[in-house]
Amino acid sequence: MTVSTTTPTTPMTSRVARMIDDLCISSFPLCIEQFGLVCDSLDETVGQPMVLRRARLHAHVLDHISIFIEEGDLLCGSGASKPFGMEIQYEYGVWTPDEVQSLKGEHYSISPEDEAELYRLNQRFAEQPANSTLVDALTRELATDERMWPFMKSGVILPPWKDKKTASGGGYAMSGYGLGPGFFLVCIDFERILRDGAQAVVDEARGYLQSPPDGVATQDQVDYWTAVVIVFEAWVRFAERYAALAQSMAAAEGDPARAAELREIAQICRRVPRHPARTFREALQAFWFTFLMACPSPTATAGRFDQFMYPYYRDDVEAGTLTEEAALELLEILRVKVMKINRVSGKANRAKNAGMAKWHNWTIGGRNADGSDATNDLTYLLLEAARVTRLPHHTLTLRVHDGTPPELMVKAMEVVRTGIGMPAFIGDDSYVEFFTRGGVSPEDAHNYCATGCVDGNIPAVTRTQVVTFFVLPQALDVFLHNGFCRYTGEQVGIETGDVATMRTFEELKTAFFRQLYYLMELGCTRNNVELLAERDLFPDAFRSALMRDGVRSGKDMLARTFSFENASLLCAVGGVNTGDSLAAVKSLVFDTGRYTMADLMAALDADWVGFEEMRRDFLAAPKYGNNDDAVDDLIAEVYRFYADSCYSMGNAYGGTLTPNAISITAHQPAGAVTGATPDGRKGGDILADASLSPEHGKDTSGLTAVLWSAMKVDQDPYQGTLMNMKVHPSSLRTEDDLAKLGSFVQTYLTHGGKHIQFNVVSREDLEEAKFLPEAHRDLVVRVAGYSAYFTQLPDTIQDEVICRTEQH
Amino acid sequence: MSPPDARPPQHPTSAAERADAAGGRQVRGTIFDIQSYSIHDGPGIRTTVFLKGCPLRCEWCQNPESQAREPQLMAGRTADEPPTTVGSVVTAGEVFDRVAVDALFYTRSGGGVTVSGGEPLTQPAFAAAILELCRGAGFHTAVDTSGHATWRTVARVLTHADLVLYDLKHLDVDWHRKVTGVTNRRILENAVRIRHELGVPMSVRIPLVPGVNDGDNLTATARFIAEQLGTDTPVHVLPYHRLGVGKAQGLGWELDDPGYTPPTDDEVAAALSTLTRHGLRAVVGGR
Repeated sequence: MTVSTTTPTTPMTSRVARMIDDLCISSFPLCIEQFGLVCDSLDETVGQPMVLRRARLHAHVLDHISIFIEEGDLLCGSGASKPFGMEIQYEYGVWTPDEVQSLKGEHYSISPEDEAELYRLNQRFAEQPANSTLVDALTRELATDERMWPFMKSGVILPPWKDKKTASGGGYAMSGYGLGPGFFLVCIDFERILRDGAQAVVDEARGYLQSPPDGVATQDQVDYWTAVVIVFEAWVRFAERYAALAQSMAAAEGDPARAAELREIAQICRRVPRHPARTFREALQAFWFTFLMACPSPTATAGRFDQFMYPYYRDDVEAGTLTEEAALELLEILRVKVMKINRVSGKANRAKNAGMAKWHNWTIGGRNADGSDATNDLTYLLLEAARVTRLPHHTLTLRVHDGTPPELMVKAMEVVRTGIGMPAFIGDDSYVEFFTRGGVSPEDAHNYCATGCVDGNIPAVTRTQVVTFFVLPQALDVFLHNGFCRYTGEQVGIETGDVATMRTFEELKTAFFRQLYYLMELGCTRNNVELLAERDLFPDAFRSALMRDGVRSGKDMLARTFSFENASLLCAVGGVNTGDSLAAVKSLVFDTGRYTMADLMAALDADWVGFEEMRRDFLAAPKYGNNDDAVDDLIAEVYRFYADSCYSMGNAYGGTLTPNAISITAHQPAGAVTGATPDGRKGGDILADASLSPEHGKDTSGLTAVLWSAMKVDQDPYQGTLMNMKVHPSSLRTEDDLAKLGSFVQTYLTHGGKHIQFNVVSREDLEEAKFLPEAHRDLVVRVAGYSAYFTQLPDTIQDEVICRTEQH
Repeated sequence: MSPPDARPPQHPTSAAERADAAGGRQVRGTIFDIQSYSIHDGPGIRTTVFLKGCPLRCEWCQNPESQAREPQLMAGRTADEPPTTVGSVVTAGEVFDRVAVDALFYTRSGGGVTVSGGEPLTQPAFAAAILELCRGAGFHTAVDTSGHATWRTVARVLTHADLVLYDLKHLDVDWHRKVTGVTNRRILENAVRIRHELGVPMSVRIPLVPGVNDGDNLTATARFIAEQLGTDTPVHVLPYHRLGVGKAQGLGWELDDPGYTPPTDDEVAAALSTLTRHGLRAVVGGR
């Protein structure tokens, strides 16, 4: 290992420092150029099969969208027609004037001309009967169903829909040159582009058009292969546009050094992505072009970047054509580039994931299929690039196993110590078990990566389409009210009985699980409606071709059933509040008989007002996070029931619903719709964050007790779980301290733990940043599966981060 | 994967050890805290057990609630916060069971238990029983002590320790009596005997209080460590902080604030350089 594991080695180059300075802008432009191009193309292709319409509009955008190369940049490709821009995504709902106004009140801007043009385009899009957005499609199905419509509004899933006209509200704008809609959790086959080049994909598709792999081809297959050729050829032309631009900029450049850089860029863009990459630099450019085509998803992943990039790095270093410093600078530039790939959504969805959330996740480290450790020099360099630049994106996720080198853990903790909240740590054991249990070969399972925040997927082999947040405490509330939703004042669940008449805790728990199961089935149905709508509306030949057998199958990835089918996720929010509530009910109503269920219901309906002493008792009941079986066992049971239930429900692509338990920042809007709960929480208050973090301030038995509580939950059936922990800077001063926290993490992740991440900033610093945001604009904190600038978070989430118990 | 087994690891195996340990489990003592994920009191991840009762009365004491042997009431930090009882009487077996919960974390990190105080040597049978039980379970054992006890007591407890964290507050006998209430005669003697007769690895800890034990005294301390204990003895400099002042007020003590101030960064650096000049490996903070 040549890379230093601890002391700062390389200061940032002046190029990178300048690029980072340029990141400080006051507002992000909302762009309409792509929407205009899309409308033009859609008008031209009415009547054609959707896969071809989409390929043609994709090609049209790649051929015509404005491109530019920014000052000092070494990597080509930005995500929109303007620097820092976000292009309107036609796939989602419409940007209404009301939504645009609300955006302008935040960190976004749109020119008056563009705004006027946007409304004209909205109209033009809507007037074409062949066009449909996802929101239109969902509304058609869900708003007309008498079981589903009360459920969509209930707040059991997020966001609660408001009315049939505006549904969940708002559209999306994002950067990147891929097709929407975003939020697919999939890692496409970067390796194939690096190794074979885009031309190989075109040739393969053409080959099947000439002679189909199965002798005969269906018309759908012919359309699909045609679409693949259209898109990949357009993509090659897109790179050539950059080559031409760089060439002409070089000719006009006064600085000979910069001119040489531009000529090199031109050369590289003529080579990749069309042909196989030969050097680290070419591989990086090919990767970046591919990544941009995986965006505009805010959840795009780079997979196991340190693994597939390593051969290029190693060969160049051995040949003496690349230094560690030069590679580090490129990796730092890559972070700057990712910083500019943004997205924004309508008001309702902004609350679910605050702070310009995005999950551009690079997975590093971990095990090889033969069990050996996969760490390499790039693993360290990627950590170093994060440490030096202190930028919140891209996210780094470190795979940890029994044989992860302690020095890598120390290096990772050095990055954690900067307070930027990364890397996140995930456990190979639990993830591999999740996949192999579902029939994935051990070899594939060992190649898993984090897509989204911590949701496991296997590159090119599995993909997740729909993730719906399911608010467990709201389901509990519906149960406590016999199927009635206090938030909407409507019956949403089934009648499971009056809780005041239930005689044992077992009876109550069984009835709750019956209600929960019913509501989860509605959630599953909602997901299936979306899965089918996406299959019809949004075929994407680019991403589909870069799945395993993606060209040969002749099918869009949404029309395939994969051998491990996890298209549909139901993501539990507030599991800890639910378990804490059940434990309080068990202890204070059924075990000690101190209160009756009727007393409790009166208190909950009064939001504890007038029941203060009673509330103190319920707050004092056993709470998760203290290694107390009385409550931990109930949390474990809730999570077990939830997972088992998911696996008993079907998804529309084949296979089952998959359980997940991450909350992003959904615990805030979820708390806002949920009335008072038996854990002593007041109505509207925020829920416990993540899925395995204790309620705020309720873990008073130290760091290890929190992990012991979490280790009692069987996390293996979950595609992801989240554990946020805040540690005080004083416990990360020395290298010894780093090694100890590293060992702590490694112990958790080799004994059933799936994920853990840290915020390292003192309470005083956070409080000051809240009141003096101007002085703390660079303060980065970990929110959920992503990091964000603290001062860009809404008040409630700021308070939530401040309140997460600080462990010394 | 099923959740790991949270039960204590195996107990000592030989019949004699089992009998001892069984008897040791019943020994009672007074503690005022047990802290898990303790990372500055010895190697690895540890659990630190704070025993109550201390013969010293250091003016800068940071845990004044540790001085009295018996449980006592301490006022809340604010008027709204109710008073809490500090201290409880427990058996060594109960302490061991608490410590053993985190066995898994000790294994990977090379950690274990640290018996601290107060002054753990004021409860030698209890301290020894805890250490013996823990060592029997394979945990690394450490004792954090001022060394102010008879040699017999020191030897009895430290026989069960893999490491001693040894506090040196002042080299001058009169100063020592003035600021801690006791002389340092036995403390210095015991330090030397621990090193040479028991052979227990030792780290020396110096609470750095400006105007009390810096300057010439620190030079004398450095010389003592280098000459009497050996330059291979790690030295931890612990800068004084004022957390103890508020706690003393919480106990209703009529004490004047001793008026000490935490050392500046320069004062800490000067102390380190004094120590390293004598060939010592000195660091700031516990390890």
